[in-house]
Amino acid sequence: MADTEIVSHGTAHAEESNGGGIMRRLNMWTGIVVGVIAAVVVYVIAAKLLVNPDNEDMAQGPDQAVIAAEVAWVIGFLVGVGAFVAPFRWLMGKDQTHDDEMFLAGKGQGVGRYLRFTTDHKVVGVQYLVLAMTTFGVGGILALTIRTKLATPGEGLFGGQIYNGLVGMHGIIMIVSTIIMVVGPWGNFIMPIMIGARDMAFPRLNALSFWTLFPVVPIFLSVAFLGGIPTGWVAYAPLSDQAPPGMDAFAVGIIMFVISSGIGAVNLIVTATTMRAHGMTWNRTPIFVLGVTATSVLGLIALPCFEVGMIETLLDRSQAASFFVPEQGGSQWLYANLFWIMGHPEVYVILIPAVAAILEMTPVFSRKPLFGARVAAMGIVSLVALSVLVWAHHMFVSGWAPTLAGPFMLTTELISIPTGMIFLVLIGTIWRGKIWTRLPMLFVYGFLWNFMIGGITGIFLSDVPADNELHGALFVTAHFHYTLLGGAMIGAMAAIVYWFSKMTGRMFDERIGTWSFYTIMVGFNVTFMAMFFNGLSGMPRRVADYDPQYLIGNMISTAGAYVIGIGMLLFLYATVSSWRHGPIASANPWGAKTLEWYVPSPPPLENFEHLPVVTGDAYGYGDPTSVHTSHPGVASVASVPAHTEGNAS
Amino acid sequence: MSNDIEELPEASSQPPLSERLKTPEGKTIIKVATVVSVLTVLLLIFCIWWPLISLPPTMSDTEREVKNTLLIFSIASAPVMALVWGIAYYSLRHWNAGSGDTPPEDGPAIRDNNRLTIAWVVGSSLLTAFLLIWGLAALTSTTTLPTDAKPLTINVVGQQWLWSFQYPEDGGITSNDLILPKDRPVIFNVTSTDVIHSFWIPEMGIKIDANPRVTTNTLTTPTELGMFNVRCAELCGLNHSYMETTGRVVNPADFEQWVKDKGGSPGMLVPLDVNKIEPKE
Repeated sequence: MADTEIVSHGTAHAEESNGGGIMRRLNMWTGIVVGVIAAVVVYVIAAKLLVNPDNEDMAQGPDQAVIAAEVAWVIGFLVGVGAFVAPFRWLMGKDQTHDDEMFLAGKGQGVGRYLRFTTDHKVVGVQYLVLAMTTFGVGGILALTIRTKLATPGEGLFGGQIYNGLVGMHGIIMIVSTIIMVVGPWGNFIMPIMIGARDMAFPRLNALSFWTLFPVVPIFLSVAFLGGIPTGWVAYAPLSDQAPPGMDAFAVGIIMFVISSGIGAVNLIVTATTMRAHGMTWNRTPIFVLGVTATSVLGLIALPCFEVGMIETLLDRSQAASFFVPEQGGSQWLYANLFWIMGHPEVYVILIPAVAAILEMTPVFSRKPLFGARVAAMGIVSLVALSVLVWAHHMFVSGWAPTLAGPFMLTTELISIPTGMIFLVLIGTIWRGKIWTRLPMLFVYGFLWNFMIGGITGIFLSDVPADNELHGALFVTAHFHYTLLGGAMIGAMAAIVYWFSKMTGRMFDERIGTWSFYTIMVGFNVTFMAMFFNGLSGMPRRVADYDPQYLIGNMISTAGAYVIGIGMLLFLYATVSSWRHGPIASANPWGAKTLEWYVPSPPPLENFEHLPVVTGDAYGYGDPTSVHTSHPGVASVASVPAHTEGNAS
Repeated sequence: MSNDIEELPEASSQPPLSERLKTPEGKTIIKVATVVSVLTVLLLIFCIWWPLISLPPTMSDTEREVKNTLLIFSIASAPVMALVWGIAYYSLRHWNAGSGDTPPEDGPAIRDNNRLTIAWVVGSSLLTAFLLIWGLAALTSTTTLPTDAKPLTINVVGQQWLWSFQYPEDGGITSNDLILPKDRPVIFNVTSTDVIHSFWIPEMGIKIDANPRVTTNTLTTPTELGMFNVRCAELCGLNHSYMETTGRVVNPADFEQWVKDKGGSPGMLVPLDVNKIEPKE
């Protein structure tokens, strides 16, 4: 049954000739061409009008020109990729025909649909996965460059300016990659199928969300060619006011990223709240859907604060405004607050989807119901609620509002209670299960190890006197890498292995995947354990050079980083080779019960023949009376084979 | 806590504990408890070992407080980590269904356990309450000035990329090295002439940002003679990593001598506004 679906990848071009319309000629390449032309034209004109080194009144000219060019690139790209065709037609009173909509959904277009403004949620999911893995690769190369430079003290490969720029680029590229790495691919691809929907609530917004994000990546890369950012990705004022025009590009990139994620978040929330299958009450909704929804709500609340901060930074830099310039009555603490009101919820935006994915697959590989599903839901919602109340723990040493140190210590330490609930649910599910040690389960164990360390070290940092010692030291760097790389990233990799067969129709190569898992775990723990020790003994973070007493720790850290790099390359190889040559997967290789496993792999356009009906939750392992669905909406795979085909590692 | 995990909903009429421990479930509990205990001991050894090889020397009362906190928190975390890891490890060892095809049978359909959930949440809440009370006590003691000695005020100025220190109570002398008398509380008034820096003495456990146009402060009491480091802990541009200097804790008599050598006079108050300091070239 899966074979017929594979073929649909290849049957292409048959329908492309029907009907005209400019949107059939637009794709990513036309977007890039139009965007580049727009950026160059606008930059040349702006430089002519605004830049004059001899005129002191025009000191902001270079910043204005860069901002204009970057914005022109984004708008030009969106025009070129066809984002505005449908709204324009609607404005002219000529709405899309059914054929047009089917074309937009990517019907019968083969691989080309991945490079177009395609509305099918599954295409958007694949686009997000490829983009996230690409940007993660770029961020990883930057990380290895940083570690290589830090292997030995002294000037080394390059000086402070390049180093600071690299740190900032690594930071922001990794933040963007990790924010999208679970919600982007799996929130879009799997979530609608999981709730029994045929697509997202707003398919065109879904495409717009991805294609607004796409031009952000070149913007962040352009930062390096505009002098870089000396501030790290936090972009603290007033250092950001001193920075070269790279800062302007950075700010435009952030603004576009927040717009993209806002569009995506609204879409996910509306889809999950209004389009769940008949009978799927919240209690019967899979925990992953709950996690993605909660994350989207949180992102929608938190990320705009960063956008506001960046808009004000741009006004300071390009229009001599003074939001954050102390000499003119501005406040650097205002910026720090805006940043961290985004900054702390943002780590949960990264973490919660990965945790939810881990919670989703633990019952499958323990062959047991999710232990305390209500506790898990409570834990996730509490994390969301508490995470918006803790931001000032990043400002314990800033000198801002010392009397608030106590209250923020309280809210921060309260977070350990919902986090503890997540751990209870995980080990409660594993307890007395039939532990099926396929690759996703290894990642669950990796998550338990890394995230426990990341969480415990966070408790140290929540304590104000201990934070006075450890803030700004490598200890902090190691702590958040344990939560975001060791916790969230491991969860995201588990999600890739788990849902790979559904997305591609092929099984993931678990043999090489297992090698990659162990390599990454060893490399990761070596790298960041060494960082913990260096941080405890007083090495600051984000320094280009250090005292020789920290040499050994840094060499170990660098060696470990290369081991992570090798592991990541193995994982990339396993992904690419499985995508091309992996054994054909059945509809349900894991014997799982959520709705996406009832549709063929990969699912057809619009997923279900009939809308499914849900009669229980998706975790009825060991309990024949608990059935998730008796009408899965797909006639051909109504009886789900419980056994995998080949490729057992 | 591992006792609760074993309790299934149907275990309502309970035989005595000695009997229950002889059942297969009871033996499981004993084994899990053993694994968790061994892990706890290993982690406790780790807790005592790691500060020895990593922390800087203790040179102030604040740093002593910080180290106590780190030690207490790691000791409190050890059983929690051991519990989670121990149960995960035991499950993997004893209920491993291999990595082949889907296991033919599912595990038991245990969906929740209210008593365990309540115990877990109450337990973690109590731990959190302990951390909070400990933290508030430590915060109070590190931010309260001792009353038994007259404090010394020092103005700290950060600029890209060096530190300078002013002694307004000792004739207004200025230095690029931080010299402190032993056993006398010091109040640091910290500011910056350009961007945000962060004034950090790792050996004394104090850190406070240096902000332009604002004065922030922190305090500590040096308790040991010797050299220490002053670092910048907030990314402040090109030469951030070189924005460090050294300091020295000396006997009070040596401190007075140093002030005189610098051209100041101990105890002479010079009204200096820390925000009116000219940047040095």
